[in-house]
Amino acid sequence: MARTKANKAESVEPQSDVVMDEAPTSHQPERGDEMSVDEENEEVEVEDNDAEIEEDIQRVRLLPGSTPTAASFEFLNEGHTLGNALRYIIMKNPDVEFCAYAIPHPSEPKMNVRIQTFDGTTAVEALEKGLRDLQELCDVVTDEFVVAREKFVAK
Amino acid sequence: MSREEYQVPTGSGSSIGVGGSSSAPAARDYASEGGGTMHYICGDCSSRVPLEKGTGIRCQKCGARVLYKERTKRMVQFEAR
Amino acid sequence: MPHKSPTKEVLEERKIVGIKDETITHVSSSDYPLTYPGEDHSWDIESFRRGFRVEFHQNDPYEASFSLIGIDASIANAFRRIMIADIPTLAIETVFINNNTSVIQDEVLSHRLGLIPFKGGHEGLHKFLKWWRKPTDESEINNSYYDNNTVSLRLEVQCEHNEKAAAGETDPTKLYKNAHVYARDIEFCPVGRQDKYFSGADAIAPVNPDILIAKLRPGQEISLSMHMHKGVGSDHSKFSPVATASYRLMPVISIERPILGKDAEKFMRCFPPGVIKLEKVTKKEAAKKGSGYEGHEGEDKAVVADPMRDTVSRECLRHEEFKGKVKLGRRRDHFIYLVESTGQWESDAIFLESVAHLKKRAQDLEKQVRNMVR
Repeated sequence: MARTKANKAESVEPQSDVVMDEAPTSHQPERGDEMSVDEENEEVEVEDNDAEIEEDIQRVRLLPGSTPTAASFEFLNEGHTLGNALRYIIMKNPDVEFCAYAIPHPSEPKMNVRIQTFDGTTAVEALEKGLRDLQELCDVVTDEFVVAREKFVAK
Repeated sequence: MSREEYQVPTGSGSSIGVGGSSSAPAARDYASEGGGTMHYICGDCSSRVPLEKGTGIRCQKCGARVLYKERTKRMVQFEAR
Repeated sequence: MPHKSPTKEVLEERKIVGIKDETITHVSSSDYPLTYPGEDHSWDIESFRRGFRVEFHQNDPYEASFSLIGIDASIANAFRRIMIADIPTLAIETVFINNNTSVIQDEVLSHRLGLIPFKGGHEGLHKFLKWWRKPTDESEINNSYYDNNTVSLRLEVQCEHNEKAAAGETDPTKLYKNAHVYARDIEFCPVGRQDKYFSGADAIAPVNPDILIAKLRPGQEISLSMHMHKGVGSDHSKFSPVATASYRLMPVISIERPILGKDAEKFMRCFPPGVIKLEKVTKKEAAKKGSGYEGHEGEDKAVVADPMRDTVSRECLRHEEFKGKVKLGRRRDHFIYLVESTGQWESDAIFLESVAHLKKRAQDLEKQVRNMVR
C-alpha cells in the first residue's frame, strides 16, 4: 500500500525538523491499515494475531515542552479527517482556551493537536472528552439518519 | 535454463571484460547448444517463422523481412495500479 | 454573567454565509463558547440532537442525496472524506498474465482491470473477507493467500474468425468471435468457504458487465488470472466505494423588496428552472400600506419556490433593477450530500459506514490516549 511505502521511505531518513530535534525519532509502524472494522471472527486466523500486535503500537504521543494545561499531541497515521473534527469538538469545550491542529509536513503521516485549557482541567482530559463527544455525536447522526431514511422509504 | 538457474552476470567473473580486457569471451556456438531453431513472428503475415543460424532473415511464406520476437511463455505478474 | 439566549432571528442570521456580487462574508462558524459574551455554546449532546436533522432527497443503490442540517463543516467534511478514502472495498490488485497478444500492453491492461468495480454478497464482502497484507518475508508470499483475504478471478479469451459471418460484413463484432473483451468475460473462481458466501446472486461479478476491457483480432489471445484484495481509497482510488461523495451548502435567496411585472420574469430567468416562481399580487397585499405592492394587484411577483435547485450563479446581482431587492447566501450548517456508489455498497450504507468508521477511530484513539497517560 502506498501509505506503507511512504512510511518505509521516511524511516530511512531521520527527520531533522527543528521541533522534533530533542524528541526521539518516532517509530513508524509498518501497517497496512488498523481499521479492521469487523474484528470478530469465528475461526482464529494467522492474520488476526498481527492485527492484535498492531493494536499495541502507540500512535499518540505527548510532544516535549508540554505542561498539564498546555500540551501538544502527535498522532501517527491521522490527517485532516480526524484532525479538523477533533479540533471542532475540543473547541466546543468551555474549559478549553485554545485548540488547533496542524499537519507539519504533507509527506509525513503525522497530525499535531495543540490544546490549552483554563485552570481546573488538563489538556489530556480535554482531548479525552473531545474523543468521547465525537463518539456520542456519531451515535446521534446514525440514529437520525436511520430514522430519516425509514421515513423516506415509507413515503 | 530455468528461472532459478539464471544469474545476473557480474564483472567479477571471466564473462565480460571491463575496459578492453584481453580475455574476450569466445563466441557462443548456438547450433551446438541444441536449441538451434528460434521462432519469430512474421510482421506481414503473422505466421510463425523458424530460423536457424545462418539462414536469411526472411519469412518462408511471404518473404517479408520484418520479423518480431515471440512473447515470453512465462507468466508475467503486474500490480493492477 | 447570566447566560442569555440570543433571539431565534439572530441565531438564524449567524448561520448564513453572505454572497455579494464579488465577495463572500461570514464564512467561518462562530458557535464556540467564548465567541459571544454571556452566551453558552459549549458542546451538549442533547442540544445537538435537538438541532440536528436529516432529510432524504433520493435513495437509490447507486445514488443517494440527503441533507444533514445542524452540523459543523468539520464533521460533515470528515464524513465525506471517510466515504471517499477510508471505506474498504474489494478490487483487483494483482494480475498474472500468461499470455496477452492483444494490442493493449500488459501494464495498461492490468491497470484497466484494477479499475473495474465488482459486487458480491454483502456478508461475504463486509464480514467474511479480511485484509490481505504482504508478508514482510517475501518468500512467505505464497502462504499469505487465504479464502478469507483473496478472491481469484480468471480471464481467458481467444479471438477467431467467424465462419458464419455474411459476405462483405465489416462489423468486427460479427466478423470475428470475441472481438471485444467485456467485464462479463471475467470468471470468478471460488476457493474454500467462498462458495458459501459468494454463490448465485451473491457471486463476485463486475457491477457493470458491459465495461469494455480490450479489443482483439483473430489469432490474438488474452489469458490471465487475477487476485482481488480489500483496500481503501487512500491507497488507490480503485478501492474507493464511491464515484464521488460531495456536499454543497443550502442556498438562501431572500427577496427583500417586491420584484414585479416584467422584472419578475427577468428575475426568474436569472435562476435555474424551478428556483423562482411567479405569483399574482393579491388584493390583500395590494391594500397593505408600505408593502411595496400598492396599486399592483393582479401583477406578477417573484417568489422563491425551491432554493435547493439554485446553483448560486449570482446572475441576479449583475442587473441594476434588482439592486438592493435581493440577498443571496448559503446556510453554513445545511449540507446537501450527493453520494454515488460504484456498486459494491449501497449509497446510504456508505454514509452509515463512514459514521461508524469515525466513531471507531475516536474510540481507538481514546484508548490510545489513556494508554499514553498511563
